[in-house]
Amino acid sequence: MSTNSKSNGPKWGMVIDLQKCSGCDSCTVSCKAENRTPPGVSYNVVLTEERGTYPNVTKVHVPRPCMQCDVPSCVQVCPVMATYKLDNGITAIDYDRCIGCRYCMINCPYGARYFDFGLDYSQEMVGANEVQAPEYGIDRGKREKGKSPIGNVRKCMFCYHRLQRGEEPACVETCIGDARYFGDLNDPTSIVSKLAASPRAFVLKEEMGTKPRVIYLK
Amino acid sequence: MRNSLIKAWYGVLFVLMAIGGYAIIQKAQAGMAITNLTNATPWGAWVAFYIFFVGLSAGSFLLSTMVFVFKMEQYERIGRDALLVAILSIMLAGLFIILDLGKMERFINIFRYWNFTSILAWEVRFYIIYVSILLAELYFSMRQDLIRMAEGEGWKASFAKLLALGSTDLSEESKQRDHKMLKILGAIGIPIAIFGVHGGTEILSAVAKTRSFWYSDLFPATLTSLVSGTALLMALYVIRTKVIGRQVDIKMVQSLAGLLAVFLLLNVGLEFYELFIGAYSLKHEELAIIKTIIGSDFSWSFWGVQIFIGVIVPLFILFSSKLRQSVTAVTLAAILAVIGILGVRFNIVIPALIVPILQGLPWGYYVPTLTEWMSSIGIIAFGLSVYTFAIKVLPIDSLEELEGGSYDG
Repeated sequence: MSTNSKSNGPKWGMVIDLQKCSGCDSCTVSCKAENRTPPGVSYNVVLTEERGTYPNVTKVHVPRPCMQCDVPSCVQVCPVMATYKLDNGITAIDYDRCIGCRYCMINCPYGARYFDFGLDYSQEMVGANEVQAPEYGIDRGKREKGKSPIGNVRKCMFCYHRLQRGEEPACVETCIGDARYFGDLNDPTSIVSKLAASPRAFVLKEEMGTKPRVIYLK
Repeated sequence: MRNSLIKAWYGVLFVLMAIGGYAIIQKAQAGMAITNLTNATPWGAWVAFYIFFVGLSAGSFLLSTMVFVFKMEQYERIGRDALLVAILSIMLAGLFIILDLGKMERFINIFRYWNFTSILAWEVRFYIIYVSILLAELYFSMRQDLIRMAEGEGWKASFAKLLALGSTDLSEESKQRDHKMLKILGAIGIPIAIFGVHGGTEILSAVAKTRSFWYSDLFPATLTSLVSGTALLMALYVIRTKVIGRQVDIKMVQSLAGLLAVFLLLNVGLEFYELFIGAYSLKHEELAIIKTIIGSDFSWSFWGVQIFIGVIVPLFILFSSKLRQSVTAVTLAAILAVIGILGVRFNIVIPALIVPILQGLPWGYYVPTLTEWMSSIGIIAFGLSVYTFAIKVLPIDSLEELEGGSYDG
């Protein structure tokens, strides 16, 4: 897939400013629309945490895409190497190789992986199965029983197919508060690189040693 | 009486296999949607059964090494049986884990591609080595008796001849050579069984750094498998011998019962420590998982199955001076202990996957569907059918032991 060589191509990363996130869930919605994910599969969710004790309470919203870790435990444990790192920093899944054992889901510290149980929205929406998102740039045609990605594990891949067209991931584009930044973490002059170097920057579950490429701002 | 009993047994197995077959076809057609698994709880009953049978296999095999490697002659009568059970169990484990795949038709990928850092990938390769060793051991343990059976007439004799692989040597030297081979193969098998097969399966979950409850170096791995292996072989030996109408070797059963009691006690101690270490860490995730095990909708499986059926009742029988004398009671204790270990496996897999992995994600809730139960029972019935067939056509009991009786199964 990747025409970018290891040394000079972009290495994608995302920065999410939690101060700007209002918890509106529009990233989740746009992600579902863009990737046409089936019921139960949601590449992006917004986790809401209540902090403090009454009356001094506050809510913190933490959007959670796939972290595209540089040391991914899912890649470490997959028995058939169906999930692997691309040179551009994205952790990909080969739907045509994955056997659906779900060992990666057990090992992902962020719960970012979803199994496609084969459910669909055909009851709610006319023609729901007529077309699938061209994930990883591959057109798989209609969503049909027994055909991948049904029976596979799925997850966010920074809207790879949009990146190929030169567009940002859907969640970044749609964010109403402009809380998400997307860019090349290899380029020290990029906005994401500068924000990632901010003292507000942190990553989820740093102690896991997974080195996420999604960085949060406190 | 005995014949009608055997017929009923075949009938029951056939019905259960038919039900299981129907459930498996359903799974093949509808996919994982027929399970109650969710993205919060991606592993369930089939994985628990898989771990259970891997443990059973390792336990049975280790018991067989007491006969073939350590020459503990008092257990000789169950040596071949132990090997047979070990082989069948690991095969059932394989069936369970294939059934659990989202893409069953691609299971061969696990041999086509090899991720060196994946425990699961190493694990299945260990199974292959392990089964090969077990099959070779079973062959050497039965070789002379197969040759003797081949001298008879009928399809069983022809079958035995086929299985003897052309060997016709009945000499004492060849017997000694068989024993030596058994000792060598058994000795190679011990580390493979403990570290590769059973340890490996435990480590599958123990390396899951994200699942703090599993992420520990001490899972009472081998002991749990020894409990189930010893208990099942005891029960099978007694039932098999009674059905054929032979005399049960009470001394051996008593001795196995003693072993079982020791294994059970040690296992309970280690299981306590397992929970204690988790609780002592005071990490909220660990506490939430332990609470799920001991005080939630799923706790019946811990208190009822794992502790009461699996430990308290068997230990009561095994330590009661009166009940201990009864072969029936001891056999019942053994069967209950096996069921208890099945509970242990469920309680390892499921509660750890009920508590969300990241705060804010939904809690899991999992009870197997009827289809999951039916397919599981079908697979077990299939295993029991193969076992029944095998003890009928193979010299699982040494021919020399069958004093004054022709071998007719």
